[in-house]
Amino acid sequence: MKVSLSWLRDVAPGMGLTPDEAMARLALRGAPVEEAEDLAAGLRDVVIGRVLETRPHPNADRLTLCRVAGPEGEVAVVCGAPDVREGSFYPFAPVGAVLPGGFRIGKRKIRGEVSQGMLCSESELGLGEDHAGIMLLDGAYEVGAPFAEATGLRDWRFDVEVTPNRGDLLSHVGIARELHPEGQAAIALPDFPGGRDGASALEAGLVRGASESRSAGVRIAIEDPDLCPRYLGAVIRGVSVGPSPRWLASRLRAAGARPINNVVDATNYVMLELGQPLHAFDLDRLTDATIVVGRARPGEVLETLDGEARPVIPEMLMIRDARRPVAIAGVMGGRDSEVAGGTADVLLECALFEPKQVRATRRALGMSTDASYRFERGVDPSAMETAVRRAAALILATAGGRLDGEIIDACPVPWEPPRVALRPSRVAHLLGVDFTADEISGLLRPLGYEVAGRADDALEFVVPGHRCHDTLREVDLIEEVARTHGYDAFPQVLSPFRPGTAPDHPLFQLEDRLRALLAADGISEAQTPALGPAGDGDVELLNPMSAEESRLRRDRLPGLLRHVERNMARGVRDVRLFELGTAFAPVPDGAPAESARVAAVLTGRRAPLQWCGSEGAFDVYDIARVLELVGAEAYPGGRVEVWGGGDGVPRAAGALFVPERVYVLRAAEGGVVGWGGEVVAAAVDVPPWAGAVVGGEVVLPDLPVPRPAVTATELPEHPASQRDVAFLLPAGTRAGDVLRSASAGGGRLLEAVETFDLYVGDDLPPGARSLAVRLRFRARGRTLTDKEVDRACRRVLRKVKEETGVEPRR
Amino acid sequence: MAMIDDLRQLERDAVAAIRAARTPDELERVRVRYLGRREGLVSGMLRRLGTLDPAERPAAGAAANRAKKALAGALAERLGELTAAAGASGPGLDLTLPSRRKWRGTVHPVNQVIDDIWAIFRSLGFVRARGPEVDTEWYNFVALNTPLDHPAADEQDTLYLSPGLLLRSHTSPVQIRTMELHEPPIRIIAPGMVYRRDTYDATHTPAFAQIEGLVVDEGVTFVDFKATLAEFARRFWGPGTRVRFRPSFFPFTEPSAEVDVKRVIVREDGREEETDWIEIMGAGMVDPAVLENVGYDSERYTGWAFGMGPARVALLRHGVRDLRLFYENDMRFLGQFT
Repeated sequence: MKVSLSWLRDVAPGMGLTPDEAMARLALRGAPVEEAEDLAAGLRDVVIGRVLETRPHPNADRLTLCRVAGPEGEVAVVCGAPDVREGSFYPFAPVGAVLPGGFRIGKRKIRGEVSQGMLCSESELGLGEDHAGIMLLDGAYEVGAPFAEATGLRDWRFDVEVTPNRGDLLSHVGIARELHPEGQAAIALPDFPGGRDGASALEAGLVRGASESRSAGVRIAIEDPDLCPRYLGAVIRGVSVGPSPRWLASRLRAAGARPINNVVDATNYVMLELGQPLHAFDLDRLTDATIVVGRARPGEVLETLDGEARPVIPEMLMIRDARRPVAIAGVMGGRDSEVAGGTADVLLECALFEPKQVRATRRALGMSTDASYRFERGVDPSAMETAVRRAAALILATAGGRLDGEIIDACPVPWEPPRVALRPSRVAHLLGVDFTADEISGLLRPLGYEVAGRADDALEFVVPGHRCHDTLREVDLIEEVARTHGYDAFPQVLSPFRPGTAPDHPLFQLEDRLRALLAADGISEAQTPALGPAGDGDVELLNPMSAEESRLRRDRLPGLLRHVERNMARGVRDVRLFELGTAFAPVPDGAPAESARVAAVLTGRRAPLQWCGSEGAFDVYDIARVLELVGAEAYPGGRVEVWGGGDGVPRAAGALFVPERVYVLRAAEGGVVGWGGEVVAAAVDVPPWAGAVVGGEVVLPDLPVPRPAVTATELPEHPASQRDVAFLLPAGTRAGDVLRSASAGGGRLLEAVETFDLYVGDDLPPGARSLAVRLRFRARGRTLTDKEVDRACRRVLRKVKEETGVEPRR
Repeated sequence: MAMIDDLRQLERDAVAAIRAARTPDELERVRVRYLGRREGLVSGMLRRLGTLDPAERPAAGAAANRAKKALAGALAERLGELTAAAGASGPGLDLTLPSRRKWRGTVHPVNQVIDDIWAIFRSLGFVRARGPEVDTEWYNFVALNTPLDHPAADEQDTLYLSPGLLLRSHTSPVQIRTMELHEPPIRIIAPGMVYRRDTYDATHTPAFAQIEGLVVDEGVTFVDFKATLAEFARRFWGPGTRVRFRPSFFPFTEPSAEVDVKRVIVREDGREEETDWIEIMGAGMVDPAVLENVGYDSERYTGWAFGMGPARVALLRHGVRDLRLFYENDMRFLGQFT
């Protein structure tokens, strides 16, 4: 809501706040100023000048030579306007002045004559569109005085943030009510300049009917009182439509509105003043001078003011004349009945439309107007008469004409102010501070709430019209008490508390551990969007922003791969990212199944480039380690295995990896809960210089169970013995099989099997590898003899030979 | 088997001597003494094998070879230690070389903020709750006292999956889900991702983190509400932080407030300076309609709630001007948050 500070001061005399004070106060009243604009900021150098004498320019027909009295005495000014009046006052920009838009006035020679300054037009001052003539000022002024101050243009425009519950703040009166310390009592609507012409409208009688009323040959009927409880009309005949007077136009502009003509401007002025939207019809265009308010009929189309042909649907509420629709109620008028240059007679509409209906209509039409915005948020039903009278008076004052007959008032559902009870005990219960009944009523009265009754433990308040849409319950009044008392006036005292009944969610605890673990492993946490293109998900959005963000991701790893690409595109080769996020799987006729995931991706060097070597580049064994790390936290008892194809890994996830370079993480129960491997070139678009990209993803349990406590093993008291063996693995033999057999063959004495070298060389048979293994033997309670160790070692070798055919290298 | 016992003794002595060697030269002298081809004690022992009873010979030979191997291993190990140690103190080492580095991983800066917020609320007796990211209009709007035909529902442009099913536009549905599952007292925070129909710019992303907070119990008042959040703000931003509560509107709280903080920052010249007021969260007393929607007795129980955006906090904390940097996941950016 854009408001003019000087307009606010006009409707609440005696407010006396500086712009900064006003902004600070509005912030603390729940209506912060988002932007404040000094409307006179560009006029700082402009002063009042008086034209003392004019004569034609000797060398140009269209130019005038003026002698102008300015701040530094008399100067010569060349002026391009045709009708400069001697003795009159004009805005004057002396040499050195900078005009709005940055134009600097210099001393110039124009067709041989010196010009020391400029007499300004409205458009040059940013005050209007009129650039044809210079801006003649009515009345007398002090020569050289600052122009903005002298003419009352010194003003500020505030853009006030209004929350959806505060329809009452969509007007100058509403905001002034919050700003003025006396609130409602301080509101006094000013007379209009030249307002004596409008007195008849302010004093006119009112002819009230239920669903129908008429006067001055005009009939107003309401067919659907649930959607339109009241419709006021005023008939003004013989107007002359034209531009608004300067004060009205500049006031509208100060509040961010565009002047149109004196009739339309009057309706906008009153809307901005009181919050009541109004509409003016060209009465001659209304068939049978009739207004009927009712639901739309099938097939109806209306061309609205903005020139759009709008098909309407039966749920919408229409204003119709005897024959056809002329306006969409509460949203926009029809083009055919708008007030324009030739209009002589006007029907002024001031109506109340049901907020939800207006909202539904304007949403269906995909539009929002100043009127619909206010109706949706609720206008003040108690201000309607004032609004229609002031708008009529303003039209009479600016467009002439006369009020015909009485104000027509069709009112099938008269408004009654709601009453809401408030218990002071409940105020204390919620706010933690005791207020007496008198203190409470003292706080609420400035907002317009009046005490209607008092019982032992409750006060009954009458809710004023401007708050009747929002104050419906006791708690709404309590909020007003807190707001008026001032939030900052409440003490801040910590109270003892009871612990809650909900437990800390174990999945957060698992995520904490994973985050710490992976970061400690040198991997950085990423955050990627859960939204991806069609290929990345099976759950589709109904209203996506773009095709690239139209699905919910089925896995998180592909999203991380995009960020590997992004890093590489910027020349970053060493990328280690992990992410904790949600994946989505479709469920027929239901919400998608969500699963928490952790995904990681590694590429580039294993350690930073450094003098002692960077330990080579990441390969598929590194992602196996990451799977083991995550598995140990998330799935105690789980294990990482080579994936032999087949079930377990979702098809889309499996397709990311080079075949036969894929691991799975199996939970203790055997199900596949994670996968990882070397990412296939087709799945990640990286430059040729990039090394292998390895990645993996683990589905986290919905409700992780705490890891069982570790049962510690006592430290051995006797030394271990070890034997190193190099197994010669022929081509096609898998190291894992050899190691498994070795472990199984050692019996209780074999404590550990550790690999310490893998050798491939010309001295081995083609395709063969030599795997060096250290076997560690130990017995509880005694030192093993060499014989025992040798025997155990032979058992290991025998088992390996039996199960895999592999023998030690000779 | 006197010879095997002798070998054992010799091996123990040799290992002790190897361990005691302080320089590679000293170590070399130890090597020559035991393993030297001519004078070496172990070598000498091997030469004596021939004098043994043939029956004893294989066992003694094996033992001698093993001892030789063990000593060679010990020598190599000690040499490695001495060489490495030379890198640390002796000649040939250069301590001005950079330390031996490993990659450092970082927790995402937005999650670091969440962790810090959580640490404070944890000490104030809160636990964490979570809920689904896809939720229904009931949980996202209606149960939170936001009728769909009210303009308040426009404040957030919501992404839908199907009519009635949406990506949550705030973490507030977790309030409802937690209260449905548990009886008061409730004392939770709920960090999580939320979604809006916003395109990427310097201050918006379609998906972002939010943290919800909810307290419900008997006797919870506006005074507690202000006190707890002010306590949080001072612990998070420093003891000199000023906290301001401004009236606002959220359909699910009444009274509602925006919470602003004014921090004290120390300038480079050491002088302290106050920042402008910075909006950090929306909050308020839980609307009785919300309590009634989950079957709580709103006459008996009262509560308060808040919602804040940790990404915004991270922007301020790290002096980042463009939110998008947090979601580009550039290693050079993430690596700064160690």
